[in-house]
Amino acid sequence: MSEKKFKTRLEIAKKKFANKNNENSVNKSSVLGAAFKMSTEFVAAVAVGTIIGFIFDNWFGTKPWLILIFFFVGVVAGILNVVKSAKNMQIK
Amino acid sequence: MATNPMHQFEVYRIGPEIKINHIDISFTNASLFMIISSIAILLVFNLGSSKKSIIPNKIQLIAELSYSFISKMISDTAGTKGKPYFNLIFSLFMFVLFCNMLGMLPYSFTVTSHIIVTFVLAAFIFIGVTIIGFIKHGLGYLKLFVPSGVPLILLPLIVVIEVISYLSRPVSLSVRLFANMMAGHTMMKVFGGFVISLGIVGGWLPLSFSVALTGLEILVAFLQAYVFAILTCIYLNDALNLHH
Repeated sequence: MSEKKFKTRLEIAKKKFANKNNENSVNKSSVLGAAFKMSTEFVAAVAVGTIIGFIFDNWFGTKPWLILIFFFVGVVAGILNVVKSAKNMQIK
Repeated sequence: MATNPMHQFEVYRIGPEIKINHIDISFTNASLFMIISSIAILLVFNLGSSKKSIIPNKIQLIAELSYSFISKMISDTAGTKGKPYFNLIFSLFMFVLFCNMLGMLPYSFTVTSHIIVTFVLAAFIFIGVTIIGFIKHGLGYLKLFVPSGVPLILLPLIVVIEVISYLSRPVSLSVRLFANMMAGHTMMKVFGGFVISLGIVGGWLPLSFSVALTGLEILVAFLQAYVFAILTCIYLNDALNLHH
């Protein structure tokens, strides 16, 4: 193989590699979106659980207890949400 | 005006004050921009579908591309059963997209940067999807909250967790859109303010940041509308094809 041919092939390979890096940067923004999606899903479940606990506390007059219990149930639900959406992502 | 980055989110009244039983339903800048985006959608799609030429012009191309885009998205996520809900998903996607994009124009107002707007959209989807689920499956829809293969002792706890997880859907859906739009627009305003305060000497760096952020914000505006629509499809899929 002549050296010239090798050099052009090297150029092409380098360009391809650069393109791949570009694709990675696009992927990075979508990964950031996925991370944000998971975090909101977790926070939303915790917030909903806490609000439900607060409402039930006011109904039954058991002031600090139900909000505490439902906070932790909300955390568990948040983890469940994150696992579910991670499974969805893996299917894609 | 340029000093306060949160000033852009202020809702103010346009025209006279209208009140029904202490509920203020006056026409505001938010309502104005919702109407503008609705009219813009109607205009684009009426113009795009009026002349059905074989070689499409630009507006027809936009209309046809967005049709096939949403159609493919629904068939990918919700399958053929999701086809009847095309109208809902399409108008939802277009409304959110046009609101986001109109917010990118200088001196405009971003409707979707207010949590109440996004939450009403998400709550509407949530209630609609729940009703669809109950119509399709009757009381069997409640099986969604009972995963198979759970020991009987754990069942009450699991059901509570699943119910909270289900109820958190509209919250996460609305917070995601609202937080993205609001954070992005605040950042743009803050960097814009830096350009003014640093002047002609040091203002070039924040100016370049501003340009980059504008590009990023246009991407985010599209991406968030897409995420909003695709999550609606996923929730619809859960209601239509019950499997757990």
